[in-house]
This record gives sequence, C-alpha cells and structure tokens, in this order.
Amino acid sequence: MISNIMTMVRKELIDAARDKRSVMAGLYYAIGTPLLMCGMFMLLIGQISSPEDLNIKIENGERAPDLVKYLSSQGITHGDEQDKSLDVKDIRLIFSDDYAAQMAKGLSAEVTLVADNSNEKLQNSIRRLEKNLQTYSAEMGSLRLIARGIDPRVVQPIKVNVEDQATPDSKGGVILGVATMTMIYAVFISGMNLAIDTSAGERERNSLALLLSHPVSTRNIVLAKVLAVTIFAMLGLLLTLIISKLSYSFVPWQELGFTVSISTNFILLMLLIGLPIAIMAASLQLFVSFMAKTFKEAQSYLTLVLIVPMMLSMAASYNIAPDTLQWLPVSGQQQALIAFIKGREIPMLQLLLSSMTTLVIALGLTFAMEKSLKSEKIVFGL
Amino acid sequence: MFHGKANESEISMADIITTTSPLKFLIGMIIISLSALSPSVFAKQDSKIDESRVNHCYVDDLAERLKCGFISVPEDRTKPNGKQIDIHYVVLPAIKNGANSEAFLAIAGGPGQSAIDNAAGFSRMFSKVRQKRDILLIDQRGTGRSNVLNCEGEGFEEALSINEADFDVTKETQACLDKLDADVTQYGSLNALEDFESVRQHLGYRKLHLYGISYGTRMAQLYMRKYPQVLSTVTIDGVVPMQQSVLAIGNAINRAFELLIQNCDENELCGKQFPNLKGDLHKVDAELTLKPAISQVRDPLTGESTQLTMTRSKFMGAIRMALYMPNVRALIPHAISEAAKGNFQPVMGLYSLTIDSTGIAMGMHASVVCGEDWQRLTQEERDAANQTYFGQEMITNFEKSCAIWNMPAVESSFSAPISSNIPTLALSGQIDPATPPSWGELAMEELTNAKHFIAPYATHGVANQSCGNDLIAQLVDSGSVEGLDRSCLDKDVRRNFYLNASTVEAIPDKADAPKETKQADTRHTAEQGDSHD
Amino acid sequence: MIKVANLSKRIGEVQALDDLSFIAKDGQITGLLGPNGAGKTTCLRTVFGLLQADMGSAEIDGIDVAKSPIEAKQQLGLFPDPFGLYERLSPREYVSYFAELNGLSRVDAKAATAKVLSQLHMDDIADRRCKGFSQGQRMKTALAQAIVHQPTNIILDEPTRGLDVMSTRVLRDLLKELKAHGHCVLFSSHVMQEVAALCDQVIVMAQGKVVAVGSPDELCEQTGKDSLEDAFIHLIGTDEGIAA
Repeated sequence: MISNIMTMVRKELIDAARDKRSVMAGLYYAIGTPLLMCGMFMLLIGQISSPEDLNIKIENGERAPDLVKYLSSQGITHGDEQDKSLDVKDIRLIFSDDYAAQMAKGLSAEVTLVADNSNEKLQNSIRRLEKNLQTYSAEMGSLRLIARGIDPRVVQPIKVNVEDQATPDSKGGVILGVATMTMIYAVFISGMNLAIDTSAGERERNSLALLLSHPVSTRNIVLAKVLAVTIFAMLGLLLTLIISKLSYSFVPWQELGFTVSISTNFILLMLLIGLPIAIMAASLQLFVSFMAKTFKEAQSYLTLVLIVPMMLSMAASYNIAPDTLQWLPVSGQQQALIAFIKGREIPMLQLLLSSMTTLVIALGLTFAMEKSLKSEKIVFGL
Repeated sequence: MFHGKANESEISMADIITTTSPLKFLIGMIIISLSALSPSVFAKQDSKIDESRVNHCYVDDLAERLKCGFISVPEDRTKPNGKQIDIHYVVLPAIKNGANSEAFLAIAGGPGQSAIDNAAGFSRMFSKVRQKRDILLIDQRGTGRSNVLNCEGEGFEEALSINEADFDVTKETQACLDKLDADVTQYGSLNALEDFESVRQHLGYRKLHLYGISYGTRMAQLYMRKYPQVLSTVTIDGVVPMQQSVLAIGNAINRAFELLIQNCDENELCGKQFPNLKGDLHKVDAELTLKPAISQVRDPLTGESTQLTMTRSKFMGAIRMALYMPNVRALIPHAISEAAKGNFQPVMGLYSLTIDSTGIAMGMHASVVCGEDWQRLTQEERDAANQTYFGQEMITNFEKSCAIWNMPAVESSFSAPISSNIPTLALSGQIDPATPPSWGELAMEELTNAKHFIAPYATHGVANQSCGNDLIAQLVDSGSVEGLDRSCLDKDVRRNFYLNASTVEAIPDKADAPKETKQADTRHTAEQGDSHD
Repeated sequence: MIKVANLSKRIGEVQALDDLSFIAKDGQITGLLGPNGAGKTTCLRTVFGLLQADMGSAEIDGIDVAKSPIEAKQQLGLFPDPFGLYERLSPREYVSYFAELNGLSRVDAKAATAKVLSQLHMDDIADRRCKGFSQGQRMKTALAQAIVHQPTNIILDEPTRGLDVMSTRVLRDLLKELKAHGHCVLFSSHVMQEVAALCDQVIVMAQGKVVAVGSPDELCEQTGKDSLEDAFIHLIGTDEGIAA
C-alpha cells in the first residue's frame, strides 16, 4: 500500500515538474518575492535616510550668522527655490527680528520651524534639523554657564544609562518579520498550482475517474496528492530561503544601523516549522479545489481562501495581533520564528500547540477529502 | 599631547556634559603636579564594566551590547611566569556581520587614557568604518581596566584654593609610586605593543587597520615598525613623530595661543569687541606671575562659598585646555578680557572643566614620558623648552617626578623615523595646541605610501572635527591613500567668538535694542487686538 | 467473469438502472447495447465501484465490488470514455504507472509495459508525451493501460467512438485476441456493425433495464429481423438514439 502511495507521489511530481504553469508559479514567487523585497528595502533605505546635504529655506539668516554657519557645517544649508538643480525640502526656518538682541541679553532667541510633520519623506530631515538646533542650543547653554563660572553638569541632574539588550540581529527583526511572512506565504503559493492541477484539473481531464477505478484506496490517493503538493511547497520554501539568503546580503542594511541576514540555523528552523504548515496548505488547497468544478473556479476560490493565512501571518509580523493569535496556526509559528530571529527564547509551548493545531486541521481536511472522493458528486462533478 | 574627543559636532543636551567633560582627558603636562593631586574619582566610576554576563557588556554612553573580554599577560615580558596582568578589550561588532577577518583598532591618547571609556566617541566617529568592520578598543596596560596606574590625590574643593607653587611634586610622586602595586617600569609603549599584538592574535584578526590619536600615534608607529605584516592601513591623527620628544610641546602651545589671538583680531566682531586681547593676556599673565589673585567665589559645582586662588598655572592651564576644543575655544577671548578686568568667573568656569577626573592614569603617563621622552631630551632642547612658560613648567616637574619613577631609557633606535610603505594617512589640525602640523610633516619623512592632510580649522583630533573620519572610512575601504581628497577639510566651519557671556552674534547697538523689543511688543498687542475684533 | 444482479440506481430524478441483471463470461466478448441514456455508462461505473448502487450488486470473478473494491478491481482493466490521459507523461510512463497501481513491482511494470507497447505497435510513440497525440494514438495508449496488468476482465466504454478505420481494426483484433486468451471482455457501444461483428453475447439495454440477451444471431431470430439493427430497434421500440 505504501508503495502505491510512493508510485502516485512520484508520478505527481514528474507530472508537476513538466507542468510549466505549476513550476513557473512556484519559481516566480520563490525568486521574485525576495528580490522584490530587496528592491523595496533598498528604496526604503534611500527614502528614509536624510540626504547628505539637506537644503531648506532659511529666512532672515543674516540675523544669526553663527547658527547658519553651524547648520551648514552639519550639511544643512539654505537652498534657493529658483535653482531647479537643488532638491529644496519644504522646511522653513525663520529667525525672529530680535534674535541677536535676545541672545545678547542671555535670553532665549526665537527660531521658528515650519514644516509638515505628517509628511513621511520629511520626517527624518525635520528630526535632523531639530536635533542640530538642540545641539547648538545645548552647547551654547553650557558655554553660557561656564562663562558665569558654573559647571554645566549641574543642569544635568540625571544621567540615564541605557543598556539596550537588542542585538544587531534583533534590530533587524522587524524587517525579517515581514520577510518571514513572505516566506511562509511561499508555502501556500508554491504548491497551489499543483494542488489545483492534481484535483480540479485531474477531474477536468477525466483522469480522476480512471484513477479511482484502479485498485487503490481513496485514502492512498488523497495522501499521495497531499504529499506531492507538500513536497512542492517545501521545495518552493527552500528556494525562497536560498534566494533570500543570497539577495538580502546585497541590501545595505548597515545604513539603518543593523543587520539582516538569514542564517543557516534560521533556514533549518524555517523548514522544520514550515513543514506542518505546508501539509495544511496542501490539504486545504486540495480540498477547496476538489470542491470546485473547474480549474478556473478552483483558482478563484483559493485566492479567497488564502487570505486567511495571509491575515494571520500579517497580524503576527506587524505585532498587531491579540495574544490569542499566538496559539493559532501560521501566526503561532511565525511568532516563534520572529522570536528566534530576535534572539529570544522560542516559545515552545505556543509553537507546539500551533503546530499541533495545524496538523489537526490538515488531518481533518484530508479525512474530509477522502470522504468526498467517494461521493459521486465530487468525482463526476454532478 | 593629549587626546581630546572634543567638540562633538552632534551633541544633544544630554551629551553636552560628556562633550565638555572630555576636557578631563586633556589634563596638561604643566599641571601634571596638579593632576597627580586631582583624583580620578570619576574615572574609577567609569571603569565599571558589567561582566556578569561573559562576553557581553555595556560601556558608558553607549546603549548597545558589546563584546568584551581580556587576556592575561606577564607584567614583565621577560618573565613569562611572573606576575600576570589582565589586558581588557572591547569589540564594537561590525553592523554588517560576516567575515570579520579585519578589525579597526583605535588607540587612545594621553598617554594614560582608556580607549574603552571613549568607546561612545569612537563609535560615533567611526560609524562608517563600523558598518563593515569590527572596531577594537584595548585598554593599554596601566590605563582603564588594564591594571590602571592611578595617582589618587586631593579633592575638588582644594583644587580651587590650592597654590600650585606650594605643591611638592617629589613627595606626591613618591606617595603615588608607593601606593601602586606594579612594576611601573613595565608600562612603557613597547610592552604595550606586545599586548596589542597578543589581543589581535587572541581574537584571530588576520589584519588590522590602525587609528592612533595623539600619543596613540606613537603606538601606531611602533606597530608599523614591529609588525608591518598585519597592518592594512594606518591613520595617525595629531601626530607625535618618533623623532620628537613630547616635552617639546611648549612651543606648540605658544603657537596655539598666538593663533587664537590672531584669529580673534582677524574676526570683525571679536576684533572690535576685544581690541586689546594680546595686551590683556600679557597683563593678566604678568599680574598672576607676581602673585595669585585670591577671591571668595561660589564653587562651580556645589555653589558653596569657597576661596579661589587664581594662579598663573590655573589661568594659563585653563586657557590651554580650552584651546583643544573649537567650541570652548570660542569663549577664551571673553574669559581673558574679563580676567583683565579682575573678573575670574569665566576662567574659573574653564578651569573647573579641567579639574576632576582627568581620565588620564598619571602613573602610566609618567612611565611613558619618563622612559621615552624625558631622557632623550638634549640640553639644547631643554634650553629651548625653558624659553616658554609651559615648557619650563614641564621640565621642572618631570625632572622631579622622573627621578622617582626611575624608568630605564629606551634605546636610541626608538627615535628613528618610521620607514614604511603601508598606506598611511597623517592628519594635523592647523590650530592644534599639542601636535602642530610640522610634527606631522616630520613623521612623513620615510613613509613612502602616505599622505599628510592639514585641516585648517581643526584643533587636536582632526577625525572628530571635520570630514577626517570620512576620509579614514574611505582609506579603510579602499586600502589605499590614492584617491583621498583633502578638499572637504577646507570647508569653513569656524564659529564666532563669544562677545559677552551670552552671545556669539553681533550685539545690537544699545540704542536700537529697546526700540526693537518695543516694536515687537507693539505688533504683538496689535495682533491680539485684531483677533479680538 | 462479471456478474450484475438486480442493480438499481437513481441519479436525481432519473431511474438510471432499474433491476439490471446480466453475466459476462470469460472467453467471451459481451456487448452492452443501448441508446443514449439507457444507463450503459452508469452500469459500467457501478461495476467499477465509482457509483454505489441503491440496490443489487456487481461481482467480478465472484468478488463483490461494493464490499471489497480493491480486490475486485485488481481483476479488472478499464478502457474509459473519455480516455483520461496524462498529457505530460509518455505512453510508457503512463502505462507503467497504472501497472504499478495494479500491484506490479516497478521492474515488472516496466517489463509488462514494454511488452504491451510492442504488442500494440506503439514503440515509435512510446516515449513521446501524450500531448498532441492523434485519436488513434490516444486509444492505443488507453488500451495499453487497460490490459497491461493482464486482468481477467476488461471493460471498454464506447471504445470505437471517434476512431478511424485502421484504429478500429487494431482494436477489434486485440479484443479477439483477448477473447482467445480466455479473458472476459465487456464493452458498451451503440454501433451495430461493431457489436454484430465481435460479440458472442449482446445485452440490449433501455431505460436502465435489460431488454434482451443473446448472440446477434439469436437476437435476429428472436425478433424475426434480418439485421441486428432492425432487431435492436424492434427491441427498444423506438428509433431514438441510434448512432450511425
């Protein structure tokens, strides 16, 4: 009996490997997604880092030449809006009329910063400008105290020592969280075409009835199909991981001050954790496809059904999930993966439980499929 | 020739203290007597390192988790089985992890500064280098956590009231030596070099990129001489050439004083506000040379009433130290001008920055200077040094302390110029009060693959005050001095001088000022009126 | 031997099989003849266990299909309509696959496949993928699949549909050969010439019931007609559903 499962799995895999549609779907995803992510991250890194030279509009700069010069030494200069070659940010710095007078008296001199803080592209530039203004102000404050014979330390009553327990790896955890989502999704995408082809497709081509009329139990047929789709999904995952490992090393993460790298240990853990998910994905996709009448119909059903695991995974990676989610399939495993990336202890109980749930769902679906293959309706699409 | 990590260009309010307190690393040789007195209470505190977790630790002002450790080496390298001391190191791991076969070793100045205590500064300065390479910091033997040779002394309050003339250098130095549990003769640069190399081997780095600041440049040059095969690139910043005894620093200080006065004179605002700066300086100097000015003041830190004995030593020392940092330097003309009027408040402010916790391990400082600089000083050089106030003070003090420290002299070959073809970048600051550009030129003598850049507006420590750190990152990345472009160093980053105790901007004419304020107020009221309508 | 006893099956509103009984013997070719909608396909699917009868039973070599489907089906070869080829597999892979599913080891399956492929003169197309095959090539592939494991019973559902003359001849010869080897051959058809030329026994079906059973000659005799076609029309009582 085992041998005929293996016979069927072998046949399914040969069949699938020759099916351009199934292979390409998996390949496109496995190769395309990591590259796409890399491209996105590179773009993002370029976007959020404030440009080396920041051009803003400085009004009445002649009233505070020293501060203007200080800002210029920090790469922040006045840019003429007429000059099209310059990228002048929409940030205005206005010095008050009495700037010098207030300063000379030891009072606070007013500087007004006008900018739209909700503009993400400006936020870093605004922060950089604010930080420099504060630095300048603090430095002057200290020197004013020294000039009065006072040790500047007296105005810093508390010194906060921060001991950040993050590691360079865990700082990249947010990014990898999103990346893990795409990896988990690879499991769903890579096997999907094969799942449809071997169920709805097989029936559409009339080979399902033929197969069922041979001396093979429906259980074995279902198991063989689940196994074949699972193997395909896992291959897709493996490929995604390998491509990710290679391509992520080309992203200049260090400019964000942390590192994102995919270690061999992570790959192994991902494969281990991914296996139950792949089994569930396979049985879910086969089950839904058997319910559909045609290949096309199966595709549209599956697209809808796949939103569920995607939501779970997203919830986990963006950390917007209520605690109960950590016990659910997909999200539970993903949280464990994220914990691993961040160098925390893997929540074993959660991981085991969500993996168990995943397997139970897979088992249930497989059983239901076995039943349904005995039904005339499903087999002949009546 | 002390390392200042002065003038952080990016300092927040929280940082300002650490920005100014680096003066604590700048303790002058002239005040060696005093700094032998002034205790490193704070330095001791700084030396804490959380070693509860092996391999992980945190250092001051750096939030992130670092890799640290130590190796045990014989104190006397000729007696491998003798007393062992621990040499501590910290690795700031490269942001991009991967093959860490190369590290960037940053060597602190002093002599006597802890590299690890300055980790935050190094991390900030070399953030670009760190993207791809580990930064390695080693507490040189006798400093920081590596069997520090500190000389405890009197506290802060006395520091204001003491008259340095009454200070017995011989007695204090002897007291310090008696307290130290170490063979101080083993704490010279050559032994420390072997420690560095042992740490490199222990950590398994195939190659090192060196950065030496101030005295650290001497360590870097010794490294080039002894282990050229493990070096990829070298940067020496604030160069002490091998041919030069640091005790000739007096001329450099004088030069920096003159440049300051010249800068102020040439500056429209400063020249107008302090037309007689040079005269004021000489006047105060002369007066204090005659006798100290004694007054009752509020303690800069505690606010308690205390006596200030303003001596020539305090006055000149405070100004000398202020010259290290461009932002503090801006206050000097005002401070001198006020002192000439009999108000020593600003000078006391500057001076207070220099007193407590110098961060320099005076014992190790003496071991280096007495062994490597004192004895090679020729009579001619000694006479020359005695021409300047600072030179004279130093000669006098080291004559006494080195007699007690009793260091064997280094061989004469120690003073030979370094001959090397390792890609080397030498950096000098034009207005450096410790290591003038001419010293950098001297170091270049037999370097065949080197460039010497002079930053026109930098003091001591070019990498920290200009684009020098970017040039170093470029050097480390490319492994070659070709293509390094000095033009970014020319960017005019000079700041205004303080014209009074509050401002650096032109003070509006007294007639105008109230008028302007009034105008502003009127308009303000008018606006309010409008809104009511 | 295939034995069908009192089969009844409703599909929706239609009584597809209505108390159907017949026996197809070994060493004989049995034709299941009936107009469209007479229940031929339903009957055959029930024999394969793909459909479950409401009443009655189907036995293959005495094994009840409903009770022991695997064992029963092991003695069965199916030539389905439509063929249900795997387009991306070659005939050799296809045939070998089903041979293995019928319990042959990999090695045996390969040998049996090679044998049946040469028997059907398919060596030239044996290693091409089925996609793009002509109807004749497809038929041969399906036929090879049905007989590769040497089942005692072979069921063919409308085997000659869409075949050209040459292919039909190949099929006809093969069926005769199978019969000569003592196999039980059961096929459904509505082509009179086919049935008349091949069958030892004809079972005429209409509306899910057996209308008449006998050799073509017996049926002609029974109805007093000269041709099987006329006899058939007479038996089912209408012109409807007779294919050309």
